Amino acid sequence: MEFIKHSSKSLLALQFFAVILLSCNSNKNNSGNTIITSDTIQNKEAVNPYVTNDRSPMDMSYYPHDFPVSKMNGTDTTIPVARVIYSRPQKKGRIIFGNTSKSLCEYGKEWRLGANEATELEFFIDVIINGKKIDKGRYIIYCIPYPEKWTIILSKNLFSWGLHMDKTKDIFKVDIPVESQAPIVEDFTMVFQPASYGTNLVMAWDNVKTALRIRTTP
Amino acid sequence: MKKFFLASALSFLSMMIAVAQPGLPPIDKSPMDESYCPGNFPQLKIKDKVTDPLLARVIYSRPQKNGRVIFGDLIEYGKVWRLGANEATEIEFYQDVKMGNVKIKKGRYTLYAIPDTGKWTIIISKETDTWGSYGYDIKKDVARIDFPVQNQTEIAEAFTILFDKSDKGYNLQFYWDNVKVTVPISSSL
Repeated sequence: MEFIKHSSKSLLALQFFAVILLSCNSNKNNSGNTIITSDTIQNKEAVNPYVTNDRSPMDMSYYPHDFPVSKMNGTDTTIPVARVIYSRPQKKGRIIFGNTSKSLCEYGKEWRLGANEATELEFFIDVIINGKKIDKGRYIIYCIPYPEKWTIILSKNLFSWGLHMDKTKDIFKVDIPVESQAPIVEDFTMVFQPASYGTNLVMAWDNVKTALRIRTTP
Repeated sequence: MKKFFLASALSFLSMMIAVAQPGLPPIDKSPMDESYCPGNFPQLKIKDKVTDPLLARVIYSRPQKNGRVIFGDLIEYGKVWRLGANEATEIEFYQDVKMGNVKIKKGRYTLYAIPDTGKWTIIISKETDTWGSYGYDIKKDVARIDFPVQNQTEIAEAFTILFDKSDKGYNLQFYWDNVKVTVPISSSL
């Protein structure tokens, strides 16, 4: 390649431009103009003859944040407060929340807050949400999105796939406001953030952000 | 130089991707996954096709081979390994079970392994909700059981844990690179 012969100064300049170019591409990707097809993903993973990696990989968030790391370091020797296990679909240029059948999560319809298996929320202590005591234990969490609010539902229909909600197992419902956010969030994210009363379970995707207030002290 | 150029451009690129979600965690390099026993239990449940009760579930992260030699190099022989990446691998039994010939009470545990050339020592530990194997504490062991290594011609790129049905119950299987380890599990009810 030609530029190898040039001085290191011009090399650096070239590098700089390449980085700008590449990062523009990455921005483009994140604003959704480039769509990754399922083919590219499957080709990459065809080498695993057993179980391929999920397109919407699973993830886990603890409260306190990164509790397992603190436990390993010995800086936290108590028990965690809460944990959520969910899958992380990506926007990939699609309309996520809306009122047409083209929207991935249609207003007024149940959404599993993720992908694949129903999203699991576990409390290791009793907590209070919207004035109601929620016993420690394991729940399924899902939502019904609307433009201005999300209805958050806790259910006892454990170990289920997220496409069929059994309403007879619902144990708790609360409406929470929707905030818009910019820049958009490409990967659906659930994370606990500290609050004066306990923690907020923040749920963010695309241009939408919501937070479920969880009181950990009576 | 060309390599350096590419590498630095790539590292910048990955930084750009990492900051794409301000204040929020990006998707892990070794994504998490879960396997149920019986396999696909959640799908069977919503289709009303469950025939056998839920016995176990594993939650683990899936590092990739990425051209590396895994056992004896990336994962040293004779040392405790977290059987995955990131958070320690979790196994939960919803009934009392027998693993090999050892009885284990229902409950949530951490799963570790000590890989060796011919066998893996599988460790069931009471230390849950922890990270990796760095804080591994032998005093929290519930069981240590050896299982033979089967060498495979087919390479598993991503570390894989799954449950397969067997004559006597299930086989908990671990696959990575050219290695497979099978752990028989059955309900002890």
